[in-house]
Order: sequence, then structure tokens, then C-alpha cells
Amino acid sequence: MKDYDIIQHITGKSLFIDDVNVPDGTLYAKVFYSKCAHGKILSLDLSEACSIKGVIKIFTYKDIPGINQIGGIVRDECLLAENEVHFIGMPVALIIAESKFIASEASKKIVIKYEELPVITDPREAFAKGQLSIPPRIFESGNVNNVWDKCDVIESGTCESGGQEHLYLETQGAVSYPLEGGSIKVISSTQGPSAVQKVVSEVLGISKNKVEVEVTRLGGGFGGKEDQASPWAALCALAAFLLNKPVKLILSRHDDMVMTGKRNPYSSDFKIGLNSEGMILAYEVTFFQNSGASADLSPAILDRSLFHCTNSYYIPNVKAIGYCCRTNLAPNTAFRGFGGPQGKFVIECAVYKAALKINIPPDIIQKKNLIKENDHFHYGQKAVNVMSGKSWDKAEMDFGLQKEIKKIRQFNSVNSLYKKGYAYMPICFGIAFTNTRMNQANALVNVYTDGSVGFSTAAVEMGQGVNAKIREVISRVFSISHDKIKNEPTNTTRSANTSPTAASSGADMNCNAVLTACNNILERLLNSAADDLGLINSEGLIIKDEKVFLNNKDTGLTWGIIVENANSKRISLCDYAHYATPDLFFDRVTNKGNPFRYHVYGTAFIEVTVDCLRGIYRIDSVKAVHDFGHSLNPVIDLGQAEGALMQGLGWMTIEEIIHDKKGRLLTDLLSTYKVPDLHFTPAEVIIKFLNEPNPVGIFNSKAIGEPPLMYGIGAYFAIMNAVREFNPDASPEFSAPFTPEKVLLKLYENTFAKDLHSPALSISDNKSN
Amino acid sequence: MNQNITFLLNNSAVTAVLNPAAVTLDFLRSCKLTGAKEGCKEGDCGACTVICGTMENDKVIYRTVNSCLVPVMNIHGSHIVTIEGLNLNNSQLSPVQSAFLSEGAAQCGFCTPGFIVSLTAFFLSSGNLKNNNILDFIDGNVCRCTGHSSIIRAAVNIKKEIGNAPDEFEKRLLYLINKNIIPEYFLTVKEKLTELYVDPTDNNNSDMPDYYVGGGTDLFVQKPDEMLSSDLSFIFKRNTADNVFEDDGYCCLRSSSTVTDILESALLKNIFPGITDFSELFGSTPIRNNATVGGNINNASPIGDMTAFFLALDSDVILTSDKSERAVSLKDYFVSYKKTVRSRGEIIKFIRFKIPKKNFFINFEKVSKRTYLDIASVNTAIYIEYENERISKINISAGGVFETPKFLSLASEFLTGKKINAEVIKEAVRIADAEISPISDARGSESYKRLLLSRLIYTHFIKLFPELIDIKETV
Repeated sequence: MKDYDIIQHITGKSLFIDDVNVPDGTLYAKVFYSKCAHGKILSLDLSEACSIKGVIKIFTYKDIPGINQIGGIVRDECLLAENEVHFIGMPVALIIAESKFIASEASKKIVIKYEELPVITDPREAFAKGQLSIPPRIFESGNVNNVWDKCDVIESGTCESGGQEHLYLETQGAVSYPLEGGSIKVISSTQGPSAVQKVVSEVLGISKNKVEVEVTRLGGGFGGKEDQASPWAALCALAAFLLNKPVKLILSRHDDMVMTGKRNPYSSDFKIGLNSEGMILAYEVTFFQNSGASADLSPAILDRSLFHCTNSYYIPNVKAIGYCCRTNLAPNTAFRGFGGPQGKFVIECAVYKAALKINIPPDIIQKKNLIKENDHFHYGQKAVNVMSGKSWDKAEMDFGLQKEIKKIRQFNSVNSLYKKGYAYMPICFGIAFTNTRMNQANALVNVYTDGSVGFSTAAVEMGQGVNAKIREVISRVFSISHDKIKNEPTNTTRSANTSPTAASSGADMNCNAVLTACNNILERLLNSAADDLGLINSEGLIIKDEKVFLNNKDTGLTWGIIVENANSKRISLCDYAHYATPDLFFDRVTNKGNPFRYHVYGTAFIEVTVDCLRGIYRIDSVKAVHDFGHSLNPVIDLGQAEGALMQGLGWMTIEEIIHDKKGRLLTDLLSTYKVPDLHFTPAEVIIKFLNEPNPVGIFNSKAIGEPPLMYGIGAYFAIMNAVREFNPDASPEFSAPFTPEKVLLKLYENTFAKDLHSPALSISDNKSN
Repeated sequence: MNQNITFLLNNSAVTAVLNPAAVTLDFLRSCKLTGAKEGCKEGDCGACTVICGTMENDKVIYRTVNSCLVPVMNIHGSHIVTIEGLNLNNSQLSPVQSAFLSEGAAQCGFCTPGFIVSLTAFFLSSGNLKNNNILDFIDGNVCRCTGHSSIIRAAVNIKKEIGNAPDEFEKRLLYLINKNIIPEYFLTVKEKLTELYVDPTDNNNSDMPDYYVGGGTDLFVQKPDEMLSSDLSFIFKRNTADNVFEDDGYCCLRSSSTVTDILESALLKNIFPGITDFSELFGSTPIRNNATVGGNINNASPIGDMTAFFLALDSDVILTSDKSERAVSLKDYFVSYKKTVRSRGEIIKFIRFKIPKKNFFINFEKVSKRTYLDIASVNTAIYIEYENERISKINISAGGVFETPKFLSLASEFLTGKKINAEVIKEAVRIADAEISPISDARGSESYKRLLLSRLIYTHFIKLFPELIDIKETV
């Protein structure tokens, strides 16, 4: 199948934000940001910087004509700092110069003085000091307190999961230029064009219809450009608007890593109770979410942690509490999985610890407690078309997992330098924005008189193949070839008031909107064709491979003819349609309802080898049976599953965000923040399609973007098992990522080898060695 | 200080007046060749990868480079191939591109041109395709979307499809053109490069520069802006066959030897048959094509990989200036953090080590968060001469545990003359631990680095003398 986008990519012709042709005279912007994590700004001296030749202007919050406020869920975030700074990387001033180089030189000449205030980086400390962005959120079903007595086994503990840098290969950026009549155009690398439009209109103090936002494609998003593309677009637009000149703002990798938020780190407490058969009776969990300096999307992310705190398991008594804790780090934000991975990691830790206590493999507990048809999730939704057991059983059978486990045991019995470990990882992920209002999309489909088709939707292409899927829908409805169909950039003048492309729902919602538009056009075309053929109505008329058939007989009419004929009869060849995901409701007081359209399930089996001398490890194999529904495009869906899986593995293993006590990010470059590379990819990645239809999905398909990321969680426990094969005295602590450092320290925990060195020290601020 | 830079850009000769320290990526993108992307500007992502061809012995040697780190001075007189220069005329796709299409190996597409360029370079490389691993050529490219699985499938398929191209240069080109891997104009490159021949001494080099620039892989990561306004002397010589040579029982490596030169040197392979296993842990293919021995040593990073290796070989540094030449033991070369004994105007001519005789063992260990293309948390190299069941000579070096690359003199001294057993190594580890003073940073806490070095010292011995020491005796 010819895919337009991918052909542009492999020939190097795709235009990303930094590649867009800019008008002559375009100016370049650079953001000057706070180097202090918490403080009062005592003075800001721009004079020397302004005097550099080629510097056009330096803007501060005082120049903002509208409001200096960009907070989405909570109004707690300035675009440019006023009198206080709240994190290192908080934008303070915007330098506009004739070149990138000059802007960068000027930023070194700005002199700022702070009065330093206490810095909080730890969410538990923030909680203790009452620094909460929103009131606590509590999801409850049954009554855990009535059940602890009846449990045969109770385990409790704490666990940590770290942040994660999105590392979209294309950094954040925007290009903006003034239009006539006080309007402005912004080309942005954003997942949420309407979000950018809103922020720009508020910052500039002009109405939304004067702000046109356009997106062709993103060089990766992963949630990092859902809300956090907006400040850069707004700053760029601010300069373009005030100077009446085109302006370009592209963040350097370092600036991007310092200024933008990451996956929220969590610190959590859990308590789990089981009966003697290994059935989980009660689960209590408290999430201390590190939201960073402002709420951003953290409240919504926290909700998803609460929704997914039981992963794939049915637990009759659940109490889940979430605290959105404000710290002095860059505001953390959406990242593929959106709180789901953080929630699931904790229950898996709880199950692991309980299994150790009972002295059985964790997979016995995992399998026993998988949610079944007509069970209820703790938020009240009934589980239907449940695929948890099916995917687990198929994985067991197709991959011969019992045999694999025997091989692992055999390996461990004869090897002392290397140890293997394995883990099962079932997943269950709800599809829909948990904020019901956001579950809407729209689409414009234009059929041109030559039979070619253009479409424009709310969906933003970021490599997830949403446009290819939309083309597939159009191609199926009209029965025309993909070559005839072209996507237009996402643009707020064509798709207004839209939700960001996020929550794995971009394809579902926008394909549905396109489907409606296409069906409307098709109906008109077939009626017109019926008229051409002298029929009373279009019954029995279909298009197949661009030919029109009546009761399977070729009528001689073609796609091209009926389109041309319809236009000559002044029948519209275009349609605009809106889609709202049906049957969603959720009561945010009782925290019960039907927040999801459906759930995605699957089971993975992960195998690792730990090098017990060096403390390094390899993920040997990941085998999964994943619930794709009937895939709209198996190549794209497989690619999404493999890519998400790898991000999940990275989050659990080598991707480590480190801040010092002063709130300074130490892993602020690709040389210090390591994502999985080619060599890190497991030698064996097999993802099988469960291939069960999804009755409520478009053409029986299911969403794919986020769920497979959570298979990666299994890697943590596989490594832990391998470490404990070498050192059975290693205590089961839960602190992800499980870096080579933590592995080595665990391998030699409670052995003489560790007595060698002096106790832990603080992170040094100076030279690195 | 701007100067004329002339090179062949895809199929056309280009001459531009440029600051010689401007990086190639910026120049390419200013020419509207936007296929090469800026992903990190520090050689860690590969989105900017281009191929650089230089004339050597009447053929063009092609190697990948990170265009974000290569100053334009270093491409003077070369052939630079970008993704745009790989596209075939008739909008036909090359087999590399087609394989990406059928495997869905491009998602967001930002890294894709870099991968296509690197994979095409595999076929253009001078090596024997059958023996070379195609995946090694994309070890400097990072994709955040695909998880690399589909890219690996595509690469393996392409290699299968293209088979083994002839080794001989002209025949190889014809074969590749025939297979649509590269466009036809490649046949004329040799002629064009000869035509635009530039005098290699025509580089405006200063005698007392602020910096000597080798491959640029460190300087242009650390201080690209400063380079633009500094007095520079460009000393990089790509693909010089005699970069590694033997002289009076010594193995000598010219300062501008790249890691790739070392890897490909018959002399070094002969001395250390296992050297490939270590050197793959140094950077990535495009970094290895540019990073020089002189740069790695002079950068004086406490975790320089090559430095650790040459320290264990008890190497000498030969420093030269207008006035004099002197030899300094590498052990004495580093004074303090990032400071060496080299004075302004002095340059490393070459480094040398005595070619070891029989009964020697050598090993290099490096542990980093990610095994490949990462900076070590700790590295260490060991050289042992072993006679009559005793250690007759031993050198152990360690990086990442001190403000300079560290020669573990006390531990080495202690082990000299000893038998190898767990008790002895345990004592050596204890002595080594007292010699070091690691700090906590992004590469690990102090306690981790201490434990890690101790384990890596055990690793040397367990790997080299598995019959004499068992891991169980070390815990």
C-alpha cells in the first residue's frame, strides 16, 4: 500500500516545522529562562543584550497585550515569569534577533538577580507542606476496611516510578506571521491546534477567529506536544504580532529538555490483601504525583492513574487516593499512557510482593485475578468483550511459555555469571478522554470534479499513521484507490474547537467523522447515479473499484463520471461531519460512570538476562498477544505496538531523569539521557494479533497508540527475578527505572562486596567525570 | 577569517565563503537541503547523518559523519552526500527506501533520512559486505517511534536483497547503480573530485591557535559558538593509510588517527586480535569515523575510552612544536580535571606503545547506562604479562573514578609478581578503591562507581583467567 507520508519521509522531502519555507525577513526568537528553581526576581537587566547588533527586541510579561496566563485545567501558569520563578527553565524573556546565533549570544548577556526561596523536588515533601494543585481525588468501590480482617495475606509497601523525557526527535517550535486585519497565523508543531489557538488568542487579547493555527505533521509528540507546544507558539505569535514581522522559534535540544515537562514521576503507597487461594480481596493505593510547578495536564493524568490502578484485575474492594503535588520542576505533562503506566506499575509491585510472601510465582496471582466478562471496574463500568483471559491463554499456548520458563530455570541452574528472569505483563487500558467533553472530532471531505479527494480533520499526524487510516476509511467507503486521496494540514479554520490528538483516540474519532462525511457524499452520489440510470432510487447501487454496479452488474458508470455528473447537477461533492463518541458519562463527584468507549487488552511475556559481574542486562525477548480488534492497517498497528513497547521498556530500565536538590536537571542532553537504541532492542519481539472484532470500533478496529507501552512494565520484574536468582537476599524494592546502577547495587546487596565503599553521597553540582 | 570552502555536494560542485568552524549541517540546511535534521547537535541521534567521500589511492572512500559536528573546513575537497543526493531521478525508490516503505519503518519521519543515508553508506563502504553487519552502520541513529524493530527488519531484508557487491571500487559502484542503491552520477564523482582538488595545506591554519581541531566530535559538542570566534588550526586528515605504523618495536598512532583507522589497522589487529570487540563500545560508526586519538587524549576527559586503553598499554605521548619534540608518558600527561601537560603551540604528533611480546593478556571493560553510544560510568583496561603462573607485569587503568584518567599504580604494583587467586584480587580491589575518588553525577553515584570498578577488576580476571577465579569467590 502506498503511503503518502512515508514516501515523503524516506526521500527526505517531508517538511517539519524547522523545514517550512519562511518569508524573507523572518526574525529568530530565543527564550531566556530562569536558572533558579524558586525565587523572587529582584532585577532583570536587558540593556547589554539589547545593545547587541542584530537584536531587534526583548519582550517580557509587560509586553503581553492580553493575559499572561496559559494554564489549561487550572489557571496557574504564566507564559512569562512576572515577579517570581517556579522552576529552572521557566520562560522569563523572549529575545528577537536577526539570526539564531545573535539571539543566543544576547541571551548570555541578560543579567537577572533572584532572591532564592526553598526548593521542593519531592512530591511527598510537597504534600507534607500542603502544596496541592487540586483537592485530593478518591476512587472507591466496596469497602477495603471491612475486608482486611478476612485476608489471609496482607502486604504493603512503597514504590517509585521515574519521569520520562519524550524525546520527540523534532524539538518544540513554531513559525508565526501576521495576516491582514490584525489576524495572525501560527504554524505549530502541536498535537492540539485548538489549544494553541486558545492560548494565542488569550495572550494576544484577540478573538479566536483571528488566530489561524496550522499543523502539517510532527516529528514525534508522545503527549509532549499536547499542551506544551502552546507556550512556544504563543511566544512566537506574540513577537510576530507586536513586531508585525514573521518570527520563528525552534528550541534547541537542551532548551527543550530543560524547559518542557516530562512524564510525571510518582511515589506511591500500596496495601494489598489476598485470600489463601491467591484471590485479591482488597487493594488500597495512594499516589503522590509530582506535577511540577503548575498543574498543566497533571489532574487529568492523575485521574487516569486512578482509573487504571487495578490494571487488568478484578478487585472487589478498592480505595485509590491521588494527590497532585506541586514541586519546583518543569510542569510535568502528558506522556503516552497518561498516568496509566504509573498506576499499573504500583499494582504490579503489590502483586509481586504478595507473591513473594506466599512463595508462588506472581503470574499465578496475575492470571487468577484477570477481569472477566460482566465484572465491574472500580469506577462502575461493566467490562464487556473482555480479552484479558483470551490474550493470556493464547500467549501461553502460542508461545509455549511453560517450556520457555523451564529453559530459563535450566539456564540459571548451570550459569553463575549470567542469570535470566521473566515476567508476565497483562494490560487493560480504557479508550476515550476521561474528560467526556473532549470526545469529539470533525472532518471535512472534499471530492473534486476530477474524482480526487482531499480531507482535513482534527487529527494531527505525528507518525501514528492517522492519515493513512483515514485514507483507508475513505478508500473503503468510496471504493477508490489511496492514490486519489490527499490529506490537508490540520487547520483551525477547517477544524474548529477540536480536542488534541491524544488518548489513543485520534484515529477512532476522526475516522468516524470522516466516515459520516463520506457516507453523506456517497448517498448523494448514488442518488445522482440512480437518476442518471433512470432508477427510482439508489437501492442495489454500489461502487466497487471505482466502477458503479447495480445488483452486481456493471452499469458503465465510473467514479469519475458520477462525480462529474453530480457537480453538473449542482449536487454537493463535499461534506463536513462531526463525531461525538456515544454512551460516555462520568460523575466526577461519585467517580462512577461509563468513562470509556471500550478497553484494550493483551498479555506479554518478557525475558531478560542480567550480567552478574557488570550489573548490566539485556532484554532478550518480548512476546505478546495484543488485542488490536480487526486492524485497519496491520503494518501501522504493529509499528505502533513495537514502538510503544520500546518506550515502556525504556521507562522501566535506562531512561532516568535526575534532578539535583536545587531543582537542576542533570540529564539535560542526549549524552546524559539515554533512550533505547538499536542494540537495546530485544533480539526477539513478537507481537501477535488477537484479531477479535471490536463491535463499537470503526470497521471493528481498536485504538493502538498507548496500551502496548505498558507491556514494558514487565521488564522491571523480569530483571528483579534475575537479580534474585543471583542474590536471593536482595530485598524487593520498587524504584523504576531499574538502571544498571540499581541492578549492580542489588546484585551485591548484603554481600561483602558492598562493604568496600563509603556510604552514599550527595550529587555534585560541578564537573562531571 | 571566512574562507573559501569547496566541495562536491551531491552532484554539484559548491564553493562558498564560510566561517571554517560553521558546521556542515547548518550550511546544508541554509541551502534548503532540509533532509538532514537537527535532532540534538551533539552526535547522539544521527538525524543529521550524511556521507562524506574523500579520495584515497585513486578511489573514493565513503564514510558517514554527523553533519552537526563536522566543521565545513573538514569537508573541504570532499564529496558530501545527503538524502537528496540519494533520490533516484524518476521518483523511483531505492531498495533501501522501498524496504522502509514495506516494513513501515518510518513513523514520524524525522530520523528517517539519517537511517536511509547510513544504510546506503553500508553498501558504499569499502568493506566486504558479506562480513560486515549492516546493523553496525545504523548504530549512531536513534528512532523514538518505531522501537527499531521494523528498521531492523528492513535493514536485514535490504542486505539479503542486494547480496554481496564486488569489493573492487569501480565494480562496486556499477553494481550499486545497477541495483538502484545509488544514482548514476556517482560514477563521475572521482573525476569531479579530482577536478576540484584543493590543496590540503590551504587551510589558513594558525601557528599558535586557541584550539587544534581534529574530527570535531568533542569540541563541537562542548563549545560550537566559541569555535566560531576562536583562532583554530584544522589538523584532521581523513583516511590516511599510514596513520598507524610500526617503528622500532613501537606501535605508533598519529594524532589524527580515527577510531575507524584503528579498527581497520592490520597492525593493531595483528597485535590485538580481539580489538574490534572493545572498539565497538567507543561512540557510534559516524563518531568513530571522526573521533581522533589525539582529540580523545587531549580532551582529557576522565572517561575517555581510548585513553583508558592506551594507559594500560603504558603509552607515550610525543608532543611537538616549532622548537622541540618531547615524549611524555601518558601516565604523567594529565595534571588535573581536563588539564594536561601540553602547552600552547604544542601538538600531539603521535602516541606510541611497545608492541607486547608473547604471554600477554589485555582486556577493556566499559559500563554505561546504555551499552552502545553512551559515555561510561566507569571504564577500565588491563594489560598483563603472565609467566610461570605469576603476574610478571601488570597495568590497570580506570576512567570515571578520578578527576583524570587514572592509572591504578598501587593496585598494579601490588599485583606484580603475585599468583592469581580470589584472595589476591580481593586485596588488589581494596587497594584500587583507596586510589580513586569518584564523584556522584548523572553517570552514577559515588558508591556505584566504587562498586562498579571493583566488579570490573574482578571481571578482567574472571574473563582472562576463568580457571583461576570464580564469581562465587568474589561475593
